Amino acid sequence: MSNFYNITLEINRYDPDTQLSWIQTYQVEVGGILRFVDVLRKINDEQDPTLAWASSCEHAQCGSCGIIVNGKPLLACELLVRDAVGKFNTQKFTLKPLTIAPVLRDLVVDLEKSYDRVHEAKPYLIKPAPFHPDGDEYRISPEKLEIYVEATRCINCFCCATACISSHRNFLGPNVTMANIVRLMDPRETAKKERMDILYREDGVYRCHTSRACSFVCPKEIDISHFLALGKEGKF
Amino acid sequence: MGEKLTIDSTLKCDVLVIGAGGAGLRAAAQIGEQRPETKIIALTKVTSPQKSHTTTAQGGMAAVDPKDPEDRPIFHMFDTWKGSDCSADQNVIKKVCNMGWEEVVWLERHGMHFSRTEEGRIPKRPFGGHMLNFGETKAFRACYEADRTGKGIMDTVWNESLKYGVNFIGQCIATEILLKDNTCIGAIIFRYPEGKFLAILAKATIMATGGKTRMYLVSSNCRGNTGDGLAIALHAGLPLMDPEAVQFHPTGMVGPGILASEALRGEGAILRNKDEEPFMERYAPTAKDLAPRDLIARSIITEMREGRGLFHEGHNAQHVWLDLRHLPKEVHEKKIQEVCSFFKRFVGVDPEKDLCPVAPTAHYQMGGIPTNEFGEVQTDTQTIIPGLFACGEVAAASLHGLNRLGTNSLLELITFGKVTGERVVEYLKDAENPETLSSNAGHIIFDQFSTYLNSQGNEKYAQIRDTLRNLMMEKVGIFRTEKSLLEAIEILKALKERAMHIPIGTKSLKTNQDLWQIWELNNLITVSMVIAQGALARKESRGAHFREDYPERSNEFNYHTLVSMPEFNKVAFGKRPIDMSLFEAKGEHFELFDYIERKY
Repeated sequence: MSNFYNITLEINRYDPDTQLSWIQTYQVEVGGILRFVDVLRKINDEQDPTLAWASSCEHAQCGSCGIIVNGKPLLACELLVRDAVGKFNTQKFTLKPLTIAPVLRDLVVDLEKSYDRVHEAKPYLIKPAPFHPDGDEYRISPEKLEIYVEATRCINCFCCATACISSHRNFLGPNVTMANIVRLMDPRETAKKERMDILYREDGVYRCHTSRACSFVCPKEIDISHFLALGKEGKF
Repeated sequence: MGEKLTIDSTLKCDVLVIGAGGAGLRAAAQIGEQRPETKIIALTKVTSPQKSHTTTAQGGMAAVDPKDPEDRPIFHMFDTWKGSDCSADQNVIKKVCNMGWEEVVWLERHGMHFSRTEEGRIPKRPFGGHMLNFGETKAFRACYEADRTGKGIMDTVWNESLKYGVNFIGQCIATEILLKDNTCIGAIIFRYPEGKFLAILAKATIMATGGKTRMYLVSSNCRGNTGDGLAIALHAGLPLMDPEAVQFHPTGMVGPGILASEALRGEGAILRNKDEEPFMERYAPTAKDLAPRDLIARSIITEMREGRGLFHEGHNAQHVWLDLRHLPKEVHEKKIQEVCSFFKRFVGVDPEKDLCPVAPTAHYQMGGIPTNEFGEVQTDTQTIIPGLFACGEVAAASLHGLNRLGTNSLLELITFGKVTGERVVEYLKDAENPETLSSNAGHIIFDQFSTYLNSQGNEKYAQIRDTLRNLMMEKVGIFRTEKSLLEAIEILKALKERAMHIPIGTKSLKTNQDLWQIWELNNLITVSMVIAQGALARKESRGAHFREDYPERSNEFNYHTLVSMPEFNKVAFGKRPIDMSLFEAKGEHFELFDYIERKY
């Protein structure tokens, strides 16, 4: 069993009954190939069953396990211990909950509340274009799709919104704004005016200060700020 | 000794959807389209429907495009029948295969971002067991959005449900189905953040809680796929159909078992053993790497057993290779972008340059809550329970019999979601509003939670969970024998008892992960017992159910297993005949829908 690490985790704790917060330190010996979700599970199994954290698919496709590790918002499921040690050049890690929603307990935040913003962007087709004369599907060229396909890969993990310097004060947030821009770029959407009203409203795209933090942290490596720039430019 | 457990409040709606994944929300969207005034509540364990397990499906959704000059729905029907090892229901096969294309178009028209051909149309790729001309050569039938088709589908049905004003309640579990005079009137739910119980009264309830394979050591399923829906159905006295039919996907990434889509082999990837021999040529000379999943999973285990597997040190597990090195760069970057990134991140290999280590992973349940071809839930005597519907992976209609073809599950979610939604709209016309809750509503969960919260003992949750997962993998997995199953049943009884004696970390009801997981563990043990019992009773090998002591299929078992277990290990068996309507109709090629030999 090669490649073991002895790591230290300093984890933000919160108890909803007493409303007390504290930082708790755990020492864990783990294989380098384990993910941070495995490490948290190991803490539950061997040291502390009360430590709460969130996850679902555990392979970076659902975006339930976002946390802040050493200051960087990321998905706990895709951070391998050996990569974390290399990337942050330490065996000591601070783990904090995302800052975009109220903390329910420890590392668990109420993402349901964050999703209310996604709903505001109306991610569906508000008014689809008429059917193709030959029936069947609407025709979209691969070249056209290529322009916005990366943005459709967003899983709403809210890592970008956590990193964003203007998010969740007066900005709808990078992921939410991008969801609206995707539909502006989608040739099947005809309700462009309604979409632009959302895009350019008070908490819309111009609240973005172009720090590009969103693109820097996105676990799916989507260049979110590129799409926000297209939104500012009105280039759909 | 903690607070007294009570129902905090009661909500009322027309339709309650338990499980807001692909099937549940396709049903909700259908109801919204047809009857916009319907008040729908959709429950999910996760924070948003977008985070459902459907979103992890990769390769595609099977559908025969009527404009395809080569493919025909009857080929798809035959493949599904043959793939099921002659145990699916032909009325369901016919219905679903005929609906496939219109549902693909429905998804596209509602905003799904399918990949595109040069002509701007939806592209199709080959998949295991899908062939032209009754098994001659591979068919291009899997409609796809790169290798994230499930995400595309999930986003679309979630968006449509949102558009029709469905009320989502996240971070909750349904703990009990409410039956009154044999009619379903809703469910009791428990909300994780506040730790409160709610009753939801509904004219119609749709069970769409999805799969359950977290009782296996290696599983592609998400953390919450713990068989909750099946367990509450069993508690309510309902049977499960064909629970022994558990699908192992041949290619999970070594270690955690993250799915490496069949689309990789559809695009040309090849399985190799330790000598780098493309071994599937020996087991399935025609279909090779695109043989059905049950056959490939057994072939991989056979290679390992005969010493031609490899060993991964980091994960302490055996594997074989999946070779993607010869695929064009364009395919790596565009068509299988997500899976390639998973291999890089989770395994540390680059599929363009390296061989990828894979091993079978528990993936899907073919069986589930028995329904008819309209999604109406049936009892063990095939009587319908008014007000109760089921669709998606939790249900068995049965499209898949004892083995499912890849891309037929997304097809089933969407077609049966629609069919069930349509049926619910019909049902609502005469349905009455359930007015009152029975006085003992909630007692099942109150008893369970009280036991867990007050448990004195020195058992460990993790030990029981790990024992269960190893046990199911070894003794109720890809290969089974009477001996292994009897041993498993004895150990499951002991685990059930031990699970009553886990001291809880905190007695708080708010976001109590420990309590939540102990409840899930109990569901896993309950459902594992039903799988083992079903597997013990079926003394033959068919589809994904393989008995080394009965390696052949036997006509004696030409039926669906029904297992009821209202109390733990108080098992009653029943049978449901296999629908042979395509064969019996004596139409074109009817003879192919008999109990045919299955070779690939």
